[in-house]
Amino acid sequence: MSSERYSFSLTTFSPSGKLVQIEYALAAVAAGAPSVGIKATNGVVIATENKFKSILADEHSIHKVEKVTNHIGMIYSGMGPDYRVLVKRARRAAQQYQLMYGTEIPTGQLVQRLAAVMQEYTQSGGVRPFGVSLLVCGWDHGRPRLFQCDPSGAYFAWKATAMGKNFINGRTFLEKRYGDTMELDDAVHTAVLTLKESFEGQMNENNIEIGIVNESGFRRLSPAEVKDYLANIV
Amino acid sequence: MMSVQTMQPGARETAAGGPRQRYFYPYADNGGTVVAIAGDDFVVVASDTRLSSGYSIYTRDQKKTFQLSERTILGSTGCWCDVLTMTKVLRARMQMYRHEHNKAMSTGAVAQLLSTMLYHKRFFPYYVSNVLAGLDENGKGIVYHYDPVGHHDPGKCYTGGSGGALIQPLLDNQINYKNQENVTPEPLTVKKTVSIIKDVFTSACERDIYTGDAVAIQVITKDGITEELFPLRRD
Amino acid sequence: MSILEYNGGAVIAMKGKDCVAIASDLRYGIRLHTHGTNFPKVFEMGPRLYLGLPGLLTDTQTVHERLKFRLNLFELRENRPVSPKTFGAMVSNFLYERRFGPYFVEPVVAGLDEDGKPYLNVMDLIGCETETDDFVVSGVCNEQMYGMCESLWEPDLEPADLFETIAQALINGFDRNAGTGWGAIVHVIEKDKVTTRTVKTRMD
Repeated sequence: MSSERYSFSLTTFSPSGKLVQIEYALAAVAAGAPSVGIKATNGVVIATENKFKSILADEHSIHKVEKVTNHIGMIYSGMGPDYRVLVKRARRAAQQYQLMYGTEIPTGQLVQRLAAVMQEYTQSGGVRPFGVSLLVCGWDHGRPRLFQCDPSGAYFAWKATAMGKNFINGRTFLEKRYGDTMELDDAVHTAVLTLKESFEGQMNENNIEIGIVNESGFRRLSPAEVKDYLANIV
Repeated sequence: MMSVQTMQPGARETAAGGPRQRYFYPYADNGGTVVAIAGDDFVVVASDTRLSSGYSIYTRDQKKTFQLSERTILGSTGCWCDVLTMTKVLRARMQMYRHEHNKAMSTGAVAQLLSTMLYHKRFFPYYVSNVLAGLDENGKGIVYHYDPVGHHDPGKCYTGGSGGALIQPLLDNQINYKNQENVTPEPLTVKKTVSIIKDVFTSACERDIYTGDAVAIQVITKDGITEELFPLRRD
Repeated sequence: MSILEYNGGAVIAMKGKDCVAIASDLRYGIRLHTHGTNFPKVFEMGPRLYLGLPGLLTDTQTVHERLKFRLNLFELRENRPVSPKTFGAMVSNFLYERRFGPYFVEPVVAGLDEDGKPYLNVMDLIGCETETDDFVVSGVCNEQMYGMCESLWEPDLEPADLFETIAQALINGFDRNAGTGWGAIVHVIEKDKVTTRTVKTRMD
């Protein structure tokens, strides 16, 4: 087929050994909305900005915090459409695991599988890398888990991290605020503060989203709950 | 659904007006379990009281033991109509023996007669599993086990019927001390034997749907025959 | 005659107090002819995980090898030992993949889980699982073994008593079946050790 001639991978090494497409993808992430994840002793929090361009947007019908299984959830920085593809793949991988082994997928396994998908898109023909970095949080056998997964397919386990716009400042802030004995409530508070560091405009329950996971599973906080956390910030 | 089980003749049409295959199943399996254990001066015979066909229960109150004389009892399960016919003929033959010889048949003689009767129907057998139990001429307990065409084997304890496969290995182990090392066999008592029989029936009716409701236990000693009914699960 | 009865063979497993036992006969035969007397049908799949595979013995070997392959990949991928429950699901899935051309084995999974709790599971040849709290039997003399187990087994047996119970249930059961016997092998799985014994039995 003549179309095969154009099906080369776009991700091709530059003479200096870089894969510039991946660097561009990371640039897309770094330009995306900030997101934060913090592991606490009794749970994990993930939070992100969810700003809308127009006041006419219906804020609570499209979400950035998504549940993958009962005990795993994720958020992203970067391109929304690409994220939704990955959410779909993540849910599929989780259900396949459940079907195959009769137990819920461990967070590490899910991240490994997602990373494999993201890696595939750096090497396959006719595709481009994903323009997102993911934050995946989970609760496995009584333990909190937090992973970041980049467009290259690289993944990291964090105690706390920030991604997207101003992520360097976010991490510096977290390095100062993070503590090993932090509880979930405190972690949510810290996550909100981290977002606030770089937040432009007034932060309210309609322009940030928070997800938490603990013993009882993953859930997105309702606007009312978010409002309560915001009220504690002076 | 249960047409294969039925005793009614039937026909299957292969094509309109074409050849027909005729079939006839003259046998039914009505389930039931019998156990007999012989001691030095007694023998215990027991049967459950459930009579069934497929998944339905005909009655919960039909024991499968037949007292043939003062010292012989037959336990018989399988196709219930064959059991009834066979025991009827057997009783008649025993009556003829009595008239000819002017004495009751010994257990050994009944055992031989039953074998001969079964073999006479070698090519259209009674579909039955027989366990014959009694006291011999010396008053010692003896048990015979039969296949449907008359092969028989004397022994100390036998079981037959739907739960037979579940119970027999247990009797080997508990009564004949099979696969047990360094044990001194204790002589069987009626009390212990009856207790073992209750145990094995309780076990069998956990897994065999054709065994249950109750177990009728008969004990033959030189003083006569006693009977006891012990309830089992009814599901 | 069913293909499942072609080679004979029996497997039994029982729960005890913080321990579990699994055992099989050692006969390898074709129909009524005995060829070998050292063919265990129970395999070690992990430190506290055993798999019994009675049935058509060519499938016993194939299924064992293929499950070992899958298990090795799982443990490398997840960097942790498999739990008995997860392994049960693996076996079940593996069998159901061949729903319309099955492996003729009826597996038994026995082991201790992460918390040291006994686990027992028996399947049919296409992977329908049954988990029990007492005992499971599989293979050609299952009726005989059921009869033995229903009488001999009791809850919370200590390892030594569990060994005696499972051995008696298996041996007396398979002595009443022509397709099984010729020796037995018994594994008693405890939290800190597994005791494996071969038992001499009548050879006829």
